[in-house]
Order: sequence, then structure tokens, then C-alpha cells
Amino acid sequence: MAHTDIHIDFDDLFRYNYRPLCLYALHYLQDIDLAEDMVQESYTALWEKLQEGAHVLNRKSYLYMMVRNRCLDHLRKKGIPTESLKPYDTYGVIDDDDAQERSQTEARLWTAIDSLPEKCREVFIMSKRDGMKYEEIADELGLSVNTVRNQISKALKVLKDGVHKLYMFFFA
Amino acid sequence: MSDFEDKHIDFVLKHYQEGRFDTLKAMNRFNEARGIARKPRRMILPWVSGIAAAAAAVVLCVLLFSDSYRQIQLVAGAELQEFVLPDGSEVTLAPGSRLTYRGKSPRKTQLEGKAFFEVARDEAVPFEITADGAFVRVLGTKFMVDAGLSVKEVYVTEGKVLFARSSDSDGVILTKDMQATLSQSDAVPVIAVEADVNSIAWQRGSFIFDGTPLKEVLETLSEHYNVSFVANDLDKQLSGEFHAEDLDLIISLIESALDVRIVMR
Repeated sequence: MAHTDIHIDFDDLFRYNYRPLCLYALHYLQDIDLAEDMVQESYTALWEKLQEGAHVLNRKSYLYMMVRNRCLDHLRKKGIPTESLKPYDTYGVIDDDDAQERSQTEARLWTAIDSLPEKCREVFIMSKRDGMKYEEIADELGLSVNTVRNQISKALKVLKDGVHKLYMFFFA
Repeated sequence: MSDFEDKHIDFVLKHYQEGRFDTLKAMNRFNEARGIARKPRRMILPWVSGIAAAAAAVVLCVLLFSDSYRQIQLVAGAELQEFVLPDGSEVTLAPGSRLTYRGKSPRKTQLEGKAFFEVARDEAVPFEITADGAFVRVLGTKFMVDAGLSVKEVYVTEGKVLFARSSDSDGVILTKDMQATLSQSDAVPVIAVEADVNSIAWQRGSFIFDGTPLKEVLETLSEHYNVSFVANDLDKQLSGEFHAEDLDLIISLIESALDVRIVMR
């Protein structure tokens, strides 16, 4: 993470970090709407700080911290015990640094899935999320097993390329 | 990082809903709430940008060629000075410090004095710093080297760093928040039991916190500004970097980040 990002304008700060921050919040909240609210609130609070003349050297990491604390406060208000205020993935508790780092990759994956053709995405989700066998998917959608297999390998390729391409774009 | 793993895709798919986390929509919502009209897109005619690109390429080649063997010296005068090296690494030199490298290999540097490095990642080419009687090879990103006269000190805030007497002697590997010193009598650097983050905060004119409980943050600020504080929730953790110039601003930033009230006494 760069030592300072004050040369990046606020629009770009929003553009490049909004989705990663949402994924980050999602690790804490497991709720899309809430995650978006927390991120939006954090951007607003940061904007107001900057308008008041505050000097934030690394606004991106400041945003991550704002989002985390808003998530934790929300969970606390819901009565979640302090020791359970942790980010989670589908396998269990992860640590906060990990959640921050993953949010970048996961945001790119989200973008790549959005970019899949509709049928391809549907097949992919049925297979990977719902754990359905190729035969079951083929049956349900009236496709051949071969088509299902092709769609899934196409999806995986788009996802790999998507993650890689965006990586090059942001960091090259 | 160029690839993803099952744990990433599993998490994303568990929550995935088409078209959600829409950055553009969120930006518009943000801007509308603030009454900011969207900036019109700038139009650049293709031939203009074509010529600009060609000119840039020529200039770049000339620079690369003429710089390739020259020795380059970066010097900080009376104040801290930040530099960006050709490989994208960032260096903050403490007053009176000097960093030297050859134009063709900006990742082999010599340091006199004290500097904070943020090294651009390049696994093929290690970033190296030689100081009189000390050698540091960077396997990661953020750290400070203090090539003092008798004691050399390295403090790592992020990533991994090899610290040794020379490039072929035994050394220690330091990771996040580790600090080691090398005095003239040591063959191998000695790792400090407890590293003090604020040893760099001072040098940089800013405070660096990384998951630091508010209680400790306020203690650090107390030491620096000679005032004491009370806050309503001392267990919350603060991360980030804060300019040391204006205490009121630091306090207001912390309050807003952590959602706490802090009162000076």
C-alpha cells in the first residue's frame, strides 16, 4: 500500500476502492445492503473531514479503518459478543489483514462474474455455488452435458483473465 | 496475487447478486447527496494523443539511454524529502541523508543516514541497500533503515527484509513490526524484543498506528504533545498514518474513524 495517496482525486478513490471496500465489509456483515451503507457512510465521513481541511496521508487505509469500525459498531449494537466480532469467509473466521487483502481480488472476481454472459453465469453459479453436478444442470436447463462443461470452463477462463487483467491495470 | 483461489470464489459466489456493489450508481448517489454534478468527460482527438505518445516514447528512450550508467544521488537538505525511484519504489530521506544508485540498477542502493523505504514489488530483482558495514535485502515492502555511525537499525512495517553485515554473511529476517540493531561488535544483527513503532513516527513527522488500541495511541500522543486525554472507549483499535503537525486534526480524525469522543485535559 502506498505511503500516501493524496495525489489521487476523490472520484478515483471512489472508483478504485468502492467495490473492494464493499467486499471487505461483507466479510464482517454478511449482508450486501448493510455493507453498501457502511461504505457509503465512510466515504461521506471522509469527504466531510477533507472539506474541513483534514490531512489524511493514506485515504485508502483510512477508509478501510472507517468501514471496519462502522461494521463493528453495527454488530455490537446488534448484541454480538465482542469475541465474535471478526471477519468471516465461507470456511470460518479470518483475520482483518487477510480480509483487507482479499477484498481486492474478490472485488475483481465480482466484476468478472458480472461480465459473464447470462447463461454462462447461471451454469457457473449452479455448479460452483449450489454444488450441482453437470448432469443435473444439463437436465434443469435443457442443455447437453457438453455444453454445461464448456460454459463452466469458459467462465473459469473469463474469471482468471479478468482477475489478471485488472491486476495488470491497477498495478502495472 | 494475480490469481484467485477457491476461498475467494466461494465467498464471492455465496453473496453474489447480479449488478450489486455497482460503483457508478454508488458514485452518483454520493455526488447527488453532495450536489456535485458529474464532470464532463475530456475529449482527446486521436491524432493529438498519438503524437503525444510518440513524443513521450522518444523522450523516455533518450532518458533511459543516457541515465543507464550514471550515478544518481538523492539528498535531503534540512527537511524530510520524498523521492520516487525509477522502479516505482518510494524513499523518504531524513534530513542530511543521502541515497546513491547507478542509473541502470536503481534497486542496488547505498545509504548514508536514515531513510524509510516503500519498495515496489519485483520478485525477480531484489532491492538492496548497502551502508557502511551493513547490508539489507528486501523481500517485502515497507521499512526503515538507520545507518547511524556506530549502530545500524532496521525497522520493518510491512513485508520481509533480510538484514546482515554484508551480502554474504549470516543475517536475520525481519517481518512486520520487527526491529533489529547491528552494533560494531555484533556479527549478526540482534532482534529487539519489543519494537517501537514510534521510532519511525518521529522521524517521519507523522504517527503510524497499526491496530493500536486507542489507550496506547493516546499515550503516544501524550508523550509527543505533553497533554493528557480521556476517551469513552479505549479498546478500539486505530490504524493509519497521521501528520504530527496539528493535534486537533489528529484527534478529530481519530474520533471520526473510531466513532469515539476524546477530550483533552
